[in-house]
Amino acid sequence: MKRTSEDGQSKLPDNTALKQQQLPAYRLQLSATGVLSCFFATGVFCLGMGIILILSAKSIKEIEIKYTKICGNCAKLREDATNFDKECTCSIPFYLSETMQGNVYMYYKLYGFYQNLYRYILSRSNSQLVGTDLKDVGNCAPFSKSHDGTPIAPCGAIANSIFNDTIILSYKLNSSIPIKVPMLRSGITWWTDKYVKFQNPSSINLSSAFAGTTKPPCWAKPVYELDGEDPGNNGFLNDDFIVWMRTAAFPTFKKLYRRLNRIQYFIEGLPAGNYSFNITYNFPVTRFKGEKSVVLSTLTWSGGSSLFLGLVYTVTGAVTWLASFSMMAVHLTLKDRKVLFIQQ
Amino acid sequence: LTAAPSHSVAEEERRARANDREYNEKFQYASNCIKTSKYNILTFLPVNLFEQFQEVANTYFLFLLILQLIPQVSSLSWFTTIVPLVLVLAITAVKDATDDYFRHKSDNQVNNRQSQVLINGSLQQEQWMNVCVGDIIKLENNQFVAVREVALQGNKSLPLFWQIEMKTNMKVRQAIPVTSELGDISRLAKFDGEVVCEPPNNKLDRFSGTLYWKESKFPLSNQNTLLRGCVLRNTEWCFGLVVFAGPDTKLMQNSGRTKFKRTSIDRLMNTLVLWIFGFLVCMGVILAIGNAIWEHEVGTRFQAYLPWDEAVDSAFFSGFLSFWSYIIILNTVVPISLYVSVEVIRLGHSYFINWDKKMFCVKRRTPAEARTTTLNEELGQVEYVFSDKTGTLTQNIMVFNKCSISGRSYGDVFDVLGHKAELGERPEPVDFSFNPLADKKFLFWDPTLLEAVKMGDPHTHEFFRLLSLCHTVMSEEKNEGELYYKAQSPDEGALVTAARNFGFVFRSRTPKTITVYEMGIAVTYQLLAILDFNNIRKRMSVIVRNPEGRIRLYCKGADTILLDRLHPSTQELLSTTTDHLNEYAGEGLRTLVLAYKDLDEEYYGEWAQRRLQASLAQDSREDRLASVYEEVESDMVLLGATAIEDKLQQGVPETIALLTLANIKIWVLTGDKQETAVNIGYSCKMLTDDMTEVFVVTGHTVLEVREELRKAREKMMDSPYAVGNGLPCPEKCSSAKLTSVLEAVAGEYALVINGHSLAHALEADMELEFLETACACKAVICCRVTPLQKAQVVELVKKHKKAVTLAIGDGANDVSMIKTAHIGVGISGQEGIQAVLASDYSFSQFKFLQRLLLVHGRWSYLRMCKFLCYFFYKNFAFTMVHFWFGFFCGFSAQVGHPQPLLACVRDGLCPCMEYPKLYEPGQLNLLFNKREFFICIAQGIYTSVLMFFIPYGVFAEATRDDGTQLADYQSFAVTVATSLVIVVSVSGWTPATGHFFIWGSLAVYFAILFAMHSNGLFGMFPNQFRFVGESLWLLRELVIYIIFLVLSPVIKEHSV
Repeated sequence: MKRTSEDGQSKLPDNTALKQQQLPAYRLQLSATGVLSCFFATGVFCLGMGIILILSAKSIKEIEIKYTKICGNCAKLREDATNFDKECTCSIPFYLSETMQGNVYMYYKLYGFYQNLYRYILSRSNSQLVGTDLKDVGNCAPFSKSHDGTPIAPCGAIANSIFNDTIILSYKLNSSIPIKVPMLRSGITWWTDKYVKFQNPSSINLSSAFAGTTKPPCWAKPVYELDGEDPGNNGFLNDDFIVWMRTAAFPTFKKLYRRLNRIQYFIEGLPAGNYSFNITYNFPVTRFKGEKSVVLSTLTWSGGSSLFLGLVYTVTGAVTWLASFSMMAVHLTLKDRKVLFIQQ
Repeated sequence: LTAAPSHSVAEEERRARANDREYNEKFQYASNCIKTSKYNILTFLPVNLFEQFQEVANTYFLFLLILQLIPQVSSLSWFTTIVPLVLVLAITAVKDATDDYFRHKSDNQVNNRQSQVLINGSLQQEQWMNVCVGDIIKLENNQFVAVREVALQGNKSLPLFWQIEMKTNMKVRQAIPVTSELGDISRLAKFDGEVVCEPPNNKLDRFSGTLYWKESKFPLSNQNTLLRGCVLRNTEWCFGLVVFAGPDTKLMQNSGRTKFKRTSIDRLMNTLVLWIFGFLVCMGVILAIGNAIWEHEVGTRFQAYLPWDEAVDSAFFSGFLSFWSYIIILNTVVPISLYVSVEVIRLGHSYFINWDKKMFCVKRRTPAEARTTTLNEELGQVEYVFSDKTGTLTQNIMVFNKCSISGRSYGDVFDVLGHKAELGERPEPVDFSFNPLADKKFLFWDPTLLEAVKMGDPHTHEFFRLLSLCHTVMSEEKNEGELYYKAQSPDEGALVTAARNFGFVFRSRTPKTITVYEMGIAVTYQLLAILDFNNIRKRMSVIVRNPEGRIRLYCKGADTILLDRLHPSTQELLSTTTDHLNEYAGEGLRTLVLAYKDLDEEYYGEWAQRRLQASLAQDSREDRLASVYEEVESDMVLLGATAIEDKLQQGVPETIALLTLANIKIWVLTGDKQETAVNIGYSCKMLTDDMTEVFVVTGHTVLEVREELRKAREKMMDSPYAVGNGLPCPEKCSSAKLTSVLEAVAGEYALVINGHSLAHALEADMELEFLETACACKAVICCRVTPLQKAQVVELVKKHKKAVTLAIGDGANDVSMIKTAHIGVGISGQEGIQAVLASDYSFSQFKFLQRLLLVHGRWSYLRMCKFLCYFFYKNFAFTMVHFWFGFFCGFSAQVGHPQPLLACVRDGLCPCMEYPKLYEPGQLNLLFNKREFFICIAQGIYTSVLMFFIPYGVFAEATRDDGTQLADYQSFAVTVATSLVIVVSVSGWTPATGHFFIWGSLAVYFAILFAMHSNGLFGMFPNQFRFVGESLWLLRELVIYIIFLVLSPVIKEHSV
């Protein structure tokens, strides 16, 4: 008999909060005033944010010059791939009516270039780019090896299609001699890219490190001769190369090319006046009906941003207010009716 | 016999000859070695995998995996599919393996149990698995029965023995008289009788066979057999002949019974999944066409930078491939994993039901049990409850309360003023001290009955003699004078106990005799025949020869049956007894009528011969026996009637009131008399005095029933309470319109319908009328119904009302109803476990039904609906982003965000006991239907639009604060994924238990994100983990938070 009572005890379910479904629960008690004030507060916040963002976006000074058509003859020349060794330059004068205060950044912008294609994005070898295994070109199809079987470094479709125009900005101080605007080519990459993702293979010098590999088919120079001026900016650590390798999300994108070195005349930024872009036109875009442009821009506290985010905030705020007003109206009419009902 | 029938051919009959293994081997009967396990070590992997891939979900995953292995199609890294697939397969395999291990273990244990087998003239210990059909085995007290066998011989001193069925229910079994004489082992060893019987089946309570021995035939019935899995009791030993072994035994034939009841949500889900699949294909086609056009317009020109894959030769083919790629990417929109998740949630809820302390019966020490794990959310949608009465609403603990003996009623208690006394003011109970064998717990308040016994009134004596003889109760006497009765039904126990206290003590029985102490004097009656009780006969009789040699038939049974078979001479007595019966039934008591009949020797001899012939008949034995019984049970002399009280279970009225408030309609289907049923109806608050009217349908013909139903409907419509549209319905209004009018009836009505009327009402041309009338009533009581009718009523409602039905019952007669209803609930009570075995949920008291429906049912339903909505919403929000991104990446099957992991268990608690009205949304199926589904889908698409286009708008122009590029693919993907996770997690938020899961899943997400983007993993696998440093540097950007922030009002707006 005792045994059975023990059995009975063991059959008794445990009295724990989980098993008895008595975990503390909290149900949001929505009161009309609570919801309304919450809505109003959100609306105020969104409108405020929206205005701030719009103002700051407005404060950005930006100038964009599309040069595909302006340099039409160069574009035509580049359409024929056999002319790859013929140099083509193009000069675009423009007038800056207002001083661009503070840091000024120079971007190149491509229209209709799909850096986000599935196979394009995959076509790179990270193990090659960190310098551990130059011969690892497994993922790089269709640009993994040259015709004679030597592995390409850097391999892959991304690297092969690098943007290779040279853009030089010159300033005409006294409408006579143009001054080359000093530009920095450093500090235009993400930190992790420069210090983690991209490393040169270790060797005495770069050219020997890249021995046994060949340059990508579209490149004029091998990867260790990308920068003739600064030997530290060569190989996989070339800033322009790293920037290009960070593939864009959309077919229209701009990438940082240079930033203003604020010395001499340019301590305050870019003064108003006559400028010109001197472009060595190498990168063909007309083949795929693309366009390219060069952009000069300043930044604000939140980086460079468009009006869009500010507009979204403003619209959200406005909608929230509209909703809260209509809810208030409904609430008040119902309340009146309830009072009436009780009085009856 | 021509040839041994091979096992593959269906067995028509079974032959087993005792002590002749060679003969029996010809038939290749199954051996007693049972194998419930499915695998062994070698076959486990292939068989288990084969079984698992029969699941649609697994095959679907496999198909995706194969697609991904085609390099041209692959658009996700293969491990995004293989990881979940392997995980699911492994978990299932481990579960299957452990299950099978335990099955192996129990098989081994069972197969190696020892039993004593008669081999070559001596008893030898033999393992169970070596026992064959035709062997004679010896069983001892408290031993498990290894096979199905025919009992040949019992212990001489106690030739009757008990077996315990499934540990709760005792059944009487009896050895065949002829073989009982065999005596010692040597003679048993020479026994060469042959048993011919039915082939193996799963009917526990049926057996028919014949024993051929020494050129004569002996009938074998269920009474003579022992079932595998039972325990032998109350006898020291018995010998048996093995008839069925191993898988052929009734226990094995009954185990592993799987039935599939699907819930309405299941069916809805299947349709929705098909629709979504169609939607997926549509999206795939749109994107594939987009891809083909893009490749044609742009891609061809772009080939300098990205030549087409070698396999691709045209834009069209590229489009074709991208279709499959998109099927892979967008596969998450088809919620195949939904089925797994839903099963897990249901399993969890089943555990909650099992764990519920408030559904634990302390007295019986039984917790509630969810025997089916797949029906939980339907508990929240029940509209009709069909309940048995006895044992379900009542305790099924019977107390002998009143009796009527030859026209005089005993048992009423009068107080000093001559009024009927109420409980609590009763005088002292009757003193039974004169009788040393009396049961101390038996209480009776009317002293006149005892006086009548003491006076030696012959009718009263005969009355109690009948009660002490006509039953199948077993007695057990541990010490002298300490009698314990073991009865198959509580009614019998109550009656025999009553007889015992009034001085007619049933002491012991053998297969041939019954010993009764009549007022202290031992009298032994010779038991000639037991005419057993069953649901159709509704009566049982014994034929005994008293010591003086007079043969008498004693019969007790239901009044409807018995009153028709009385001798016409007792007309006057009949009418007074009928009055008494009606009075008893009006008090909610269960009544039985007692009668006897003297038989002369000659007639009995002739009748016994006919009975033997009938019982030896090969075909329709049952019917023949019934007609033979019917013949002898006629022209009986009425003795009186008994009234037994069956007390209501605790909490029944409250439960019924609560369920009624929750708009659940309760129909009571009982085999009791109409008056009893109505009375119980009142006492459990199903019927109340506030009710406008209680319609009683008792018509005997189709026309009468139709007329009564019509009148009931008319009354309901004419009543001033009817709200309708104010216009009286004209005579010719169609039945469809009738329904709508009846639905609007405002008054409270109840319907009581009798079994014979119900038979007419359930006919095809009247069933709708009946249903309309019944459904307009608040309460429906069907009395005098047969088990089949119970099932028919349930089926009727199920078929025409499209409502979820629940049947609750405790006895074997409720099994059909329990199986028919959407949800079957078994009460594990006094009447064995057949109902429980057939049920989906079982507990021990009716009052737990309110908790099962209003708490567990509602919660399951709410949670399931919330989960489903959330699941569809989440899937669409996540997947549609890929779709939108397709338009910006040349339809190249690029993903919009890396596949994130999501924990998604949500909780929604709300008390329903206090607010029974909250149950209604479930009945109306409001919380998850096609409309809700489309709302969820729309919300999902809306979220995905915002989640894609807001970051798109921002990223298109934005740069980081150091001027570097922000709009790169990796940053965009991480931003979209993170904002999706935040929005989707937070919008799944309801109550505070959810806090844990939301912050938990967000924490897990960020942990995984940072891990995946860490330098370490990149260092190891630079080609797989390309997003190095992404999250760390990205989350330093102010603009990202501004994006997240702008999304929060969006969430709020959609959740409000």
